[in-house]
Amino acid sequence: MKYNLELIKNKRKIIGFSTVLILLSLLGILYSTFNTSYKKPINLGMDFVGGNELRIERICKEECSDFSPDSVLEKLRENSKNKNLLNNIKLQSQNNNKLISIRTPYLSIEESNNLISNLDNIIGPLNYESKDSRLIGPKLGKRLLTNCVTSLLVSLFAISLYITIRFDKKYALFALLALFHDLLIVFGIFSWLGIILSVEVNSLFAVSLLTIAGYSVNDTVVIFDRIRENLKSKNEGYNETIQLSVNESFRRTTFTSITTLIPLLSLILFGSYSLFWFSLALSLGIIVGSYSSILLAPSLLLKD
Amino acid sequence: MKRRQGWLFFIIFLLTLSVYLLINYPLQLGLDLQGGSQLTLQIIKEEGKVTRDELEAVNSVIDKRVNNLGVSESNLQTLGGDQLILELPGEQNPLVASRVLGKTALLEFRTQKEGTSKDLRSLQLQRFSIKELIEKYSFAEKNQNDDNFLKVIEDDLKDLEKELNYSSTSNDLYGKLIEIKKYIDKEITDLFIKTDLSGRDLINAGRRQEQTNSNWEVLLTFSNSGGEKFAEITKSIAGTNQLLAIILDGESISEASVGNQFASTGITGGSATISGNFSAENARELEVQLKGGSLPLPIEIVETNSIGALLGSKNILKSLYAAISGLIFVGIFMIFNYRILGFVSVLSLVLYGFFNLAIYSLIPVTLTLPGISGLILSIGMAVDANILIFERIREELYDGNTLTRSIDSGFQRANSSIVDGHITTLLSCFVLFLLGTNFVKGFAATLGIGVLISLFTSLNCSKNILRFFTTYQSLRQKNLYLPRNNFSN
Repeated sequence: MKYNLELIKNKRKIIGFSTVLILLSLLGILYSTFNTSYKKPINLGMDFVGGNELRIERICKEECSDFSPDSVLEKLRENSKNKNLLNNIKLQSQNNNKLISIRTPYLSIEESNNLISNLDNIIGPLNYESKDSRLIGPKLGKRLLTNCVTSLLVSLFAISLYITIRFDKKYALFALLALFHDLLIVFGIFSWLGIILSVEVNSLFAVSLLTIAGYSVNDTVVIFDRIRENLKSKNEGYNETIQLSVNESFRRTTFTSITTLIPLLSLILFGSYSLFWFSLALSLGIIVGSYSSILLAPSLLLKD
Repeated sequence: MKRRQGWLFFIIFLLTLSVYLLINYPLQLGLDLQGGSQLTLQIIKEEGKVTRDELEAVNSVIDKRVNNLGVSESNLQTLGGDQLILELPGEQNPLVASRVLGKTALLEFRTQKEGTSKDLRSLQLQRFSIKELIEKYSFAEKNQNDDNFLKVIEDDLKDLEKELNYSSTSNDLYGKLIEIKKYIDKEITDLFIKTDLSGRDLINAGRRQEQTNSNWEVLLTFSNSGGEKFAEITKSIAGTNQLLAIILDGESISEASVGNQFASTGITGGSATISGNFSAENARELEVQLKGGSLPLPIEIVETNSIGALLGSKNILKSLYAAISGLIFVGIFMIFNYRILGFVSVLSLVLYGFFNLAIYSLIPVTLTLPGISGLILSIGMAVDANILIFERIREELYDGNTLTRSIDSGFQRANSSIVDGHITTLLSCFVLFLLGTNFVKGFAATLGIGVLISLFTSLNCSKNILRFFTTYQSLRQKNLYLPRNNFSN
């Protein structure tokens, strides 16, 4: 099976397409920074701003009774000592009213226990074995954010350094361009998700960005390796050799992406809910990453 | 030939060893898989960094308190130089632990300034009033809010504020009550002068029920020098109207007079009791704190995660489904596309899985949800190396090379790309591990270990299994190694 991607012919289209994607991402980031309630480039989750997140199931005989979140909140407020904390409370039900999730600003363990027992009084009985509660203080949140940003910067720097030592300047530059392209687009998609669906990012999102960085560079390196090798051994034109090399490694890159996407897809479908957005971010990153390694990075290498 | 078989035996040996390890040293599951609570304690230091010694000191105090609390199978470890992580498996309530651990438990013995008896008496009365108001408030909370009742509390509080000549700044009633109580506590403490006797002079603490009523009292046993200091202090105020206050974290928990009969020697015997109307629970908490000693630096609980046992076992099942279905589909994909080569990669994937788990039980790596996702993700990485190699082998075959030669040069030529790719991922893992939180570390560890093992399984195991296959004549037909629609090639 031979592939025949017409890279040389479509160079403009590819670069144009990527430019549009990047502009859309930047638009999302800007919109998110200036036009949302949280005024951040991306909707930072509890990990970074602190707070209390509680998920717990109700024990119901057959079907769980319907309830209105507003009236439950009303009752919770009535029963609470600290009125201020419950101003910002959000309550949702899922799974036919069975699963209840609550978000509040930071609570102490005692306050959180009170909240749960109040909740138990209102719409109980609750199944404590199914409880998932996370309390993160605002101080820790800030620290986590700094940690995540630092680790992203440090590892991007380390990867850049490695690539620059390993390849000629031109290759290194384009491999890194492709890398930042991938990260920016995934970041942009989550900015938009935050704006439209109020999806939040937590520390696992930073992990997914880091992992995407590793993968994206890896894919690009494999194709560039092939180009270098072919430029040495084959006596065809520069542009033609690049196109040939891309077609030769096309199978490998798509197959690798597919075999990585398969487990991620299983994680999205079967995995625990806490890993859902993480797996999605990784999947998006891998799709964008293989696009940029196969089409974008080699197109940038082409001469006019 | 002999050397190749040697490798094969070595691989089989490693596999047996892995299985043995897994049976004898079961995997450690994180709290998100077995249920339990995790507390992150942050050491607070106003200026400068927390030093190693300070961290050690805090760690040992917390460790003693945890042990004295009697929580089973708890695990305490330090994180990042100024944090501690405490894990409480199972359905143990983190509330008690947080109450006991969060307090500095600085115990002081102070003597009353002369001529402050009147001030003290009125403050003691005011303290009694505020405690009563707080109790009334809690009662009102529990039995639905009766606005009139709350109004009464509010009015009483205002009177008290007038008496104290202090106005509170909190927004809500509960906050005001607490603020006033703190103010009164401070006023009382200020009427007493520090002595050189403190919690450091204790060698033990205990508790017992008072004989006359159901309240509890806490017993203190001093060291030799502590006993002498205590005698000295009690001697100095015996028979006067100055009181001895026992102050815990800035709050006086007991004020007592020393009788005239101790004027010559002071209270000797090296022990004292605090009877401050303790409930059984409070007495036990104080006992644990005093036994562990006071914290050299205050701490704050900055994160609490608790996961129910049922949710934990659900998480295990879900991850298991995800991992197994991922493996199966990747296996089908590989066999479908690469036929006999795909089968080889499935075998080396199975080896990969076993080696990974064995390493987890050996190091040991505690398996958490992010950790499992790292493992699942690294399957992709392990297969990636195989795909690179197989594509190269096919190209060599297309070029008309013999099978053995193609296999050899396929592995050789794919080498540099594989190593490059693995190094960039390892770099990311390394950084994640160094800078990440506990949560992130699990992911970085399993992904990193996976990447390293995949270097071995994909470069070495795949090669040797493949070579072993090719020793059978029936498995040496070239078309078994090429895509189906390429038979004619």
